[in-house]
Amino acid sequence: MKVQKKVRWLFLLLLVIGSFVFVTNNASLYEQTIVRVVKEEVIATDRVVDVHDNEDTIFTQHLEGVVQNGPYRDEPIELKNDYSASGAIDHRYREGTELFVTVRTQGDTLTGMITNVKRDHLLVAIGWIFIGVLLLVGKRQGFHSLVSFSLNALVLYFALDLYIAYERVSLLAVAFGMIFLFTFISLYFVSGWSPKTFAAVLSTLVGTLLSFLVMLVVMKVTNEQGLHYEEMQFLSRPYYIVFLAGVLIGSLGAVMDVSITMASSLFELHDQHPHLTDEQLRVSGKEIGQDIMGTITSILFFAYLSGSIPMLLIYMMNRVPLGYALPMNMSLELARALAGGIGVVLTIPISLFFTLLFIRRKKVVA
Amino acid sequence: MNTLVVLATLLFILMTLIGGKRGMRAFFALFLNMLVVFIMLLLMVNPSFHPLLITVISTVFIVQINLYYINGKNEKTIAAFRATMTTVLLLLGFITLVSSFGMIQGFSEEESAELIALSPFVGLDFIQIAAGVMMLSALGAMTDVSISVSTAMYEMYVHDPAIDRKRLFQSGMTIGRDILGTDTNTLFFAFFGGYLALLIWFKDLHYTFGEMINSKVFSAEIVTIFSAGIGIALVIPMTAGWTIIQLKKNKRSE
Repeated sequence: MKVQKKVRWLFLLLLVIGSFVFVTNNASLYEQTIVRVVKEEVIATDRVVDVHDNEDTIFTQHLEGVVQNGPYRDEPIELKNDYSASGAIDHRYREGTELFVTVRTQGDTLTGMITNVKRDHLLVAIGWIFIGVLLLVGKRQGFHSLVSFSLNALVLYFALDLYIAYERVSLLAVAFGMIFLFTFISLYFVSGWSPKTFAAVLSTLVGTLLSFLVMLVVMKVTNEQGLHYEEMQFLSRPYYIVFLAGVLIGSLGAVMDVSITMASSLFELHDQHPHLTDEQLRVSGKEIGQDIMGTITSILFFAYLSGSIPMLLIYMMNRVPLGYALPMNMSLELARALAGGIGVVLTIPISLFFTLLFIRRKKVVA
Repeated sequence: MNTLVVLATLLFILMTLIGGKRGMRAFFALFLNMLVVFIMLLLMVNPSFHPLLITVISTVFIVQINLYYINGKNEKTIAAFRATMTTVLLLLGFITLVSSFGMIQGFSEEESAELIALSPFVGLDFIQIAAGVMMLSALGAMTDVSISVSTAMYEMYVHDPAIDRKRLFQSGMTIGRDILGTDTNTLFFAFFGGYLALLIWFKDLHYTFGEMINSKVFSAEIVTIFSAGIGIALVIPMTAGWTIIQLKKNKRSE
């Protein structure tokens, strides 16, 4: 057993090293030209004040780099970059930074335009830290949540391919399909196959559907007043549907959390005290539900609302009135959080019902 | 009528109906949390204030609301508060490092259409802001895990005050592991739902896999998901540790 464990960690270590060797040497796999910065120098500094008296500093950087791939491989290249001290839309490049560049020849020297930063090694690094921490702290459960996360990400990726490939397939249909798969995969990895999991799956599906219907009705009745889709305007698709599908998927995790917590605690209670009546179990279930509804809802609020802070700050610094800036940047996020919260609360009685049903069935069989 | 007002009213009614007095209190706590975030925003627009410092101070208030206001101030919640704050500080340091190396702060080309009429050179430090935002998005989940672990450990201690410290720590870890999966799920799906539009857009524009993973928005979102997972996992041993320290102090004072 101990040897097996060692072998497992060794295998993981090899994977880590291998992936780093790969991402630091994969330039030839990219079609765009990649340049590695070898020398950087600030050649100009400019203090700027915008119309709202915001002060900032803009630096101009002269970069010397080496082309990593393509026809100009190993040739030196000179680039220019402007960046600001605040860095809202720009970056300071350092030695070792790798950049995607559109190359131009200017006489004898190569130059070009920087289009993007190569970030794949960053993702690999933080990905391994994520995996490492989850395995170290979570052991088997950590491993399970990694597997379930990867499977769910794959489902999402391919389901969206399906949606894009077939014009006629509705996004909501795809989303409902995904929800089925997500629920089964996630709950299976959280608690295996048991009546408890089954009760949780059922209440998750019913709870999600019900909260979706509530959202749909509220949106219809209120004519979506107060919802600003501007932040989704880059989409060439009906935002309304994309938003609804997002709400559906977004609240799923929280609804599952409620369902499985209710089911586990009630089954546990029943196993330890088999003589508790339905009524007693119902009272305990309500108690548990009241315990978790606040915290799970607040998880959603923070997850959704935090993301709009940077854009809100830009609006505020540009003296855009709050009455315009807040709804423009937060209305969709707030709607998502509220819909998720409604889902969480509605799921409490639903999962209480299904869990008691399964416990009663277990009693009859036994 | 405004959709948001109707949704909020509905949430309030449901929380009161199903959650009773505690549900009402939880709804009010949500409101207080948003108020703190709003005040934080009003402070952050002052360029001479340090964004990370403001984030940490706001976090102290938010965590206190979620722990002390909802559950009352007692040994369990004090331990959970310390554990959450320690994890928050660690996570902030880690994300600041990652976002300055990975250049993921601020806005991408994909989002900049919205910025056209606005000046982006506002003199605020967006690396720090990005770190604060990523930490905040996992804050609710970290607090949740922390209070669950400390409550369960405390229960165990009350039933068996002679329990060995090492065993108590192990039990804390076991309880933490059990909720790790569900709490990470809650966040992952929240993020999936939020990023759906972006993913569809990537696919519509036929981004290659390489283009997608190197783009700033995508990297920023992956880093958000991963650091949230790291935060949720880290808060478990932190809580187990702080709860034991708290109980030891408690024993000595008796």
